[in-house]
Amino acid sequence: MKILIAEDDPVSCRVLTTNLKAWGHEIVVTNNGNDALQALQRDDAPMLAILDWMMPGLTGVEICHRLKTESHAAPIYIILLTALNRKENLLEGLEAGADDYLTKPFDRHELRVRVQAGARIVALQDNLRQRVRELEAAIVERQHAEEQLRSLSLTDHMTGLYNHRGFYNLAEHLAKMTRRSRTKSLLIYADMDGLKQINDTLGHHAGSEAIMAVAEVLRSSFRDCDIVARLGGDEFAVLAPNVALPDSRKLIERLRNNLKAYNEGGDHPCQLSLSIGAVEIDHNYEFGIEDQMAKADAEMYRDKRQRKELLTQRT
Amino acid sequence: MSLTNTVDQNESTPFHVTHETVVAVDLAILASYDEAQEEGEPDFVVELIDLYLDEAPRIFNAIHEGLTNNDWLSAKRAAHSLRGSSNNLGILQMGVIADELEHLTTNHQVAGAELLQCLKNEFTRVEEILLAERLRRLS
Repeated sequence: MKILIAEDDPVSCRVLTTNLKAWGHEIVVTNNGNDALQALQRDDAPMLAILDWMMPGLTGVEICHRLKTESHAAPIYIILLTALNRKENLLEGLEAGADDYLTKPFDRHELRVRVQAGARIVALQDNLRQRVRELEAAIVERQHAEEQLRSLSLTDHMTGLYNHRGFYNLAEHLAKMTRRSRTKSLLIYADMDGLKQINDTLGHHAGSEAIMAVAEVLRSSFRDCDIVARLGGDEFAVLAPNVALPDSRKLIERLRNNLKAYNEGGDHPCQLSLSIGAVEIDHNYEFGIEDQMAKADAEMYRDKRQRKELLTQRT
Repeated sequence: MSLTNTVDQNESTPFHVTHETVVAVDLAILASYDEAQEEGEPDFVVELIDLYLDEAPRIFNAIHEGLTNNDWLSAKRAAHSLRGSSNNLGILQMGVIADELEHLTTNHQVAGAELLQCLKNEFTRVEEILLAERLRRLS
């Protein structure tokens, strides 16, 4: 592996390089602390460094400090090399962030096994980083897959109703069928009133609960064959096929009654209120679901405005 | 490593700071570097001897400059470096004197100068031994 040696004494330096080269390592040599730090801060820095404690410029301990305080993606394994064989000095060096130390005059065999130990740690860290990279890649891949699945899904995760995609897919299909059978359908566009206020005052959890309650009311108000969907946020839509005009009124009335029953019965943290726009679709004419939705949307806004005016008149 | 097998009697030492006396050059330590000798390469121990003989006078200068310029840290650092290379090569007496110089706590200039002189005296002896070893190896 690539090893940096920072040593100002040429004899020690020569002994080190000769031995390490003989063991197959690639050696980078500096003879002062400043050059050593620079070499260790490069992108292709050696992952193991043997630093003399005392040398011109930064000392080995100072280099340890500097390297440990800077956040490194890959920590460098540092062996302090020193003739200081007093114990407190060694403690200082290890506390500064050195991984190991060797005292001079060093024993060639000890040097070999300590460098081997260091190389083992570096290899382990390398494997670990590689593994983390692989896991991160797997997570990203999985997130993509989930996103893709979600985009293919037809149902709304929170309410179990159809989602935007599910609604339009089924509505188009239903439109074609009802055109053949020359029947009429009811299209409802419903928007929750005051969801933002619920979120702001009672929190997002209460907001979610309210959305789910609305979904339940809608589901119970319509027939199994009707398409009930949450288009997103606080917007819902229903397409009920084979409905004649009097039935339309009844269906909407039932919805209103069920909402009222919900609000009057039980202990709910907030009242539910819907602005509803309804259009009857006559399939004798060319049916474009988008156009009809726009109409229902406009109706819904009219309803919302009226309800607001009513509310302000009352207060 | 044996530090005490030969006790050297150097009575002419003039300085008042006393340090233990050990063998000037432990040739066994020096010879241990033969283990790192590569096939077909020049004699490794001779290379180390040359490096040392080359480096020591430079260090004496650095210590001298440090002492005269009142730059104790530089003198201390140079002594430290000399201690390292001396001990590495088994040049033990030099190592002991350098160690003492490095760890002077007071009286840097006077005691330092005396110890530097000791180092120089010792070096004459060491040089002789190392050159003889060098010659033996090359012949």
